Amino acid sequence: MNALRVMVVDDHPMWRDAVARDLGEARYDVVATTGEGRQALRVAAAVRPDVVILDLRLPDLPGVEVARGLAACEHPPRVLVLSASGEQEDVLEAVKAGASGYLVKSAGREEFLDAVRRTAEGEPVFTPGLAGLVLGEYRRLAVQTPADDGPRLTDRETEVLRLVAKGLSYKQIAERLVLSHRTVQNHVQNTLNKLQLHNRVELVRYAIERGLDET
Amino acid sequence: MEIASSFWRAISVYRIASLAYAALLLAGAGGYQRPVLGWLVMGVMALWTAATTFAYSIARGRSLLMIDMLVTMGCLLASPYVQGADAGPAGVMPVTATWIGAPVLAWAVYGGRRAGVVAAVVLSMGDLWLRGLRGFDLSVHVNGAVLLVLAGAVVGHVARLTKQAEERLQRAVEMEAAGRERERLARGIHDSVLQVLAMVQRRGLEIGGEAAELGRLAGEQEAALREMIRSEPVAAGYKDAGLVDVGALLRRYGSATVTVSTPATPLLLRAERARDLAAAVGAALDNVRRHCEEGTRAWVFAEGDAESVTVTVRDDGPGIPAGRLAEAEAEGRLGVAQSIRGRVAGLGGTAGFVSVPGQGTEVELTVPAPAQAAADLQWPL
Repeated sequence: MNALRVMVVDDHPMWRDAVARDLGEARYDVVATTGEGRQALRVAAAVRPDVVILDLRLPDLPGVEVARGLAACEHPPRVLVLSASGEQEDVLEAVKAGASGYLVKSAGREEFLDAVRRTAEGEPVFTPGLAGLVLGEYRRLAVQTPADDGPRLTDRETEVLRLVAKGLSYKQIAERLVLSHRTVQNHVQNTLNKLQLHNRVELVRYAIERGLDET
Repeated sequence: MEIASSFWRAISVYRIASLAYAALLLAGAGGYQRPVLGWLVMGVMALWTAATTFAYSIARGRSLLMIDMLVTMGCLLASPYVQGADAGPAGVMPVTATWIGAPVLAWAVYGGRRAGVVAAVVLSMGDLWLRGLRGFDLSVHVNGAVLLVLAGAVVGHVARLTKQAEERLQRAVEMEAAGRERERLARGIHDSVLQVLAMVQRRGLEIGGEAAELGRLAGEQEAALREMIRSEPVAAGYKDAGLVDVGALLRRYGSATVTVSTPATPLLLRAERARDLAAAVGAALDNVRRHCEEGTRAWVFAEGDAESVTVTVRDDGPGIPAGRLAEAEAEGRLGVAQSIRGRVAGLGGTAGFVSVPGQGTEVELTVPAPAQAAADLQWPL
């Protein structure tokens, strides 16, 4: 099996090196490292990494823009946000733009490598912090958009997300709700997919409105 | 553009308008006794009007002001030769008419109230001398002189005030720019410090032993600093309404063992209620520290809807055996649990305890929050 191709985007050399070293030791192929957003977009288009480890605080371009740009690539890589800033709004925007996980930099090495592995497999890295943000976003949308517009969570999805936010593992959630591990995973995945889909629909709608205005 | 230059433009406009008025008077009177001399004086006035309009726009100074005064005085004192010696005492306006007001305004704008009054008095003396002609007869009307002095004083005062206001504004702008620059530098430094602290924590935990303790301390400081510099939402108008984001208060509890999850939007409660709720959560976390073995992890999860704010504190400790809680309650010795329940009841809310074997203990605190609905509406996105 070919090693997974990973790219690290972080403006702090200390972190870039540490993350790249950890990944290398875990037999990932670190194909590129960069500290700038625009460069990251150019390099990603050229080297086509499977996974991008993305810091949201970059000198030239907001990390959210980079996440958006990566999602628009011809071969969009999976994006794991690794951020020290803890800026809740930015993390939420990056996830809505297509990032599939979020981890704070203070997370341990094992936790980090596990998150990379799961991201590579296409599984969202749903930390409790991210679950709290996503639940809050659905609540906000429920207040701000009419019932037939905008995404809604099913009761079961809400239940699962709340348990994730309380720090329970998928296994514990499966036990508590008497579900299979796979079902819990699917519920979590769905909540994210709906949010990202809604975000794309909103962007297209916005573009059309602007386009109609201009003609 | 500085405000002073609009004063100087206004003086030029005054000069031109007064010149036109003086020319009309001269033409109306058929040139008085010596029309040629009269129009000659008018020519000098016109030249001087053009010259000052230009000169005051590029260089203002004492010598220019002095020459302005002398030229104006000269034109004023030429009046008897144009109008005849008895025109002044008879109450005929001098050839210069209101044109003599211009240097008074110029002196006032340049030097303030006192300079304005000095110029006004000097020109008034010339004017009065013409009227009483060589005798300084103070029985003549002094209206013009009084108005001239008044104009000098008032314009001088206003000009000075304007200058001071402009200087203060300039200083405020400079200070604001300096503050912004400092903030920009601080952001970069803070971010670097955060990165280093997070790195120390990560490496420390990997190495273990005493380094792990250092890492834990670094992690706590990282969480505290991160919360401190977290940029305030732009539309933090809720602060004026005495509301506080409970999420922000709770995030301060974050550490290596405590994970805090909140929505990105603020969870609003009135300030004292928010602090009470945060204190109850703090008590629950203390409880975890006291009764569970070291290194027990805890999660704080806050959520809110239109009617209430709910905060759940969960630990991954051994949990409370089934029935144990009810038993303790019946015996009236529930300790911390009771005090948490009391605090939340004081806020009109409820506290529920759940313990699932192998999944730790959960405390769920719910308090009513009528303010939350309004917050959702005012939140921009």
